[in-house]
Amino acid sequence: MKILIVEDEESLQKSIHQYLISEGNVCDCASTYNNAYQKIALYAYDCVLLDLTLPDGEGLQLLKFLKKMNKADGVLIISARDAVDQRIEGLSLGADDYLVKPFHLSELYARILAIIRRRQFNGNDRIIFNELEIDSQAMEVKVNAQKVYFTRKEFDLLLYFMSNKSKVISKSAAAVHIWGNEADMADSFDFIYTHIKNIRKKLTDAGCKDYFHSIYGVGYKFVES
Amino acid sequence: MDDQLEEELLEVKQYTAGKNNLYQPNTFEELVIQYKKTAEKSNTKIIADTVFYNTEKHQMETGRYLQSAITLNGDRYKVSIIASKVENEEQIKSILKVIILPVLALLIILLLVNRFMIRSLWNPFKQLLINIKAFNVNQDVPFKPVKTSIKEFSDLNSAFIDLSSKVKSDYKEIKLFTENASHEMMTPLAVINSKLDTMLQSHLLGREESELLTDMYKATSRLTKLNQSLLMLVKIDNNLLNDQEDILISRAIEEKILHFQELILKRKLTIHLHLEPTTLYISQQLLEILLNNLFSNAIRHNIDTGSIDINLTATELIFSNTSVNGGLDEVKIFERFYKDTTSEGTGLGLSILKQICNRLQYELKYTYELNLHHFIIRFS
Repeated sequence: MKILIVEDEESLQKSIHQYLISEGNVCDCASTYNNAYQKIALYAYDCVLLDLTLPDGEGLQLLKFLKKMNKADGVLIISARDAVDQRIEGLSLGADDYLVKPFHLSELYARILAIIRRRQFNGNDRIIFNELEIDSQAMEVKVNAQKVYFTRKEFDLLLYFMSNKSKVISKSAAAVHIWGNEADMADSFDFIYTHIKNIRKKLTDAGCKDYFHSIYGVGYKFVES
Repeated sequence: MDDQLEEELLEVKQYTAGKNNLYQPNTFEELVIQYKKTAEKSNTKIIADTVFYNTEKHQMETGRYLQSAITLNGDRYKVSIIASKVENEEQIKSILKVIILPVLALLIILLLVNRFMIRSLWNPFKQLLINIKAFNVNQDVPFKPVKTSIKEFSDLNSAFIDLSSKVKSDYKEIKLFTENASHEMMTPLAVINSKLDTMLQSHLLGREESELLTDMYKATSRLTKLNQSLLMLVKIDNNLLNDQEDILISRAIEEKILHFQELILKRKLTIHLHLEPTTLYISQQLLEILLNNLFSNAIRHNIDTGSIDINLTATELIFSNTSVNGGLDEVKIFERFYKDTTSEGTGLGLSILKQICNRLQYELKYTYELNLHHFIIRFS
């Protein structure tokens, strides 16, 4: 996939770039409004990561420009400002999602994939991984074409890990993904452990291989072998 | 009174000298004059108090008498003139009435006039005081000046107008600073988070490094949470959350229980619900934060196998939970960054709660009764 990162903070841009490339994507970076404007005008991207405050302009202007050019690029706004008005304005201008800084790279990537799925598969977005098949629209999990019952949170977590295949996801990132801002609760980290245990049990009971790997208590990885 | 007796004696003397007869007083004079033949030659006068029988009133009365001697046709008579004091007392009383009553009336009028004057004089001051008390840096309503022609008060008035506008602008600046500082911190936090995520992907990660990373993740998420809470306080202060709509509170509470169910199950907490279907016109976001704070508070500061009682009526919402330690300071717990040593929170949760209630003009109260923490919110 081709992704444009519009972000003026160099080190953050670098981290995002690195993470996306390692997932096999093609990435362009832009640190300024003008640079981003040129790239948007010249190329087509599957998804544009858009920071709203750029040194020489407003990110929302870029969004307006994109829509005016009738580009099909998906847009994910990444902003340090968590203002309702701005969120509403961004989304009503045609952005697909709004992510507030600070975020985990795994969360960012899961959102990018969700946008691309929504745009490209038009609702028929199945994610297939060997014998495992999940339908993110209908919220269904199938192992060898057999339906397995998952709770809402378990499903979210599984989809999250499958979106970030072979990447280590920290418990912290997983907790934020499930509980949002309330994730600072003293023992929410333990819950991730419980949830993963349940997911693993449900999958292996249904005859699926165990793809989850624990990484020294800091997080988990969903990977083949 | 003694003068009166002397005068009477003189009169008696003149009478006896002129008419060669003993003077008998008229009844209206209210005097008793007694004559007695005597051999005494001396002319000494005695004036003293006495008790005599009043023949008119048929009772004993106190009086004043004068004793002297006169000569009539060569005989010596002892004269005693007795005047009743009672009459005199009555006289004094009537004099007092005539003088004191008008004086009293005057005094009362003076007092009333004074009161009225002072009241109207201090009226602008009182109004000023009311306005000063009503002044709140947090609200957008400017300080209301009082119209008055009294120079001192109008000076006070204008001094307070200056002061209030200065306080307001300073407060606004501080808020703006908090907001900007928190926002500026979000980007470096995002950088730290992304670098940690990148480090986590390293193949060289060992047990020791993983533990370090876990702690760093925890610290970063705590810092993030702290920042978000500060921003939330500013937002509530600035009245930025006004997406009001009618919301069925009882359903919102049930949804929150589902959201927190793992945390509740983990601590083996029992939830007792008494929810009346209550609808409030409230901002969705504020309600969300309100309930999140109430729940996370009740779960976090609870004992394992404890309980959470939630009571919702049309007028109030009460969260009661068992606790590790006893009652907390009813005032201090709502202060920013107040928390007990065991708490892992930011110390802002309850002050956010308080702020939301202030904003919605709900009454928030904390009590500790029957070994339970009670958080009571009264909708008004």
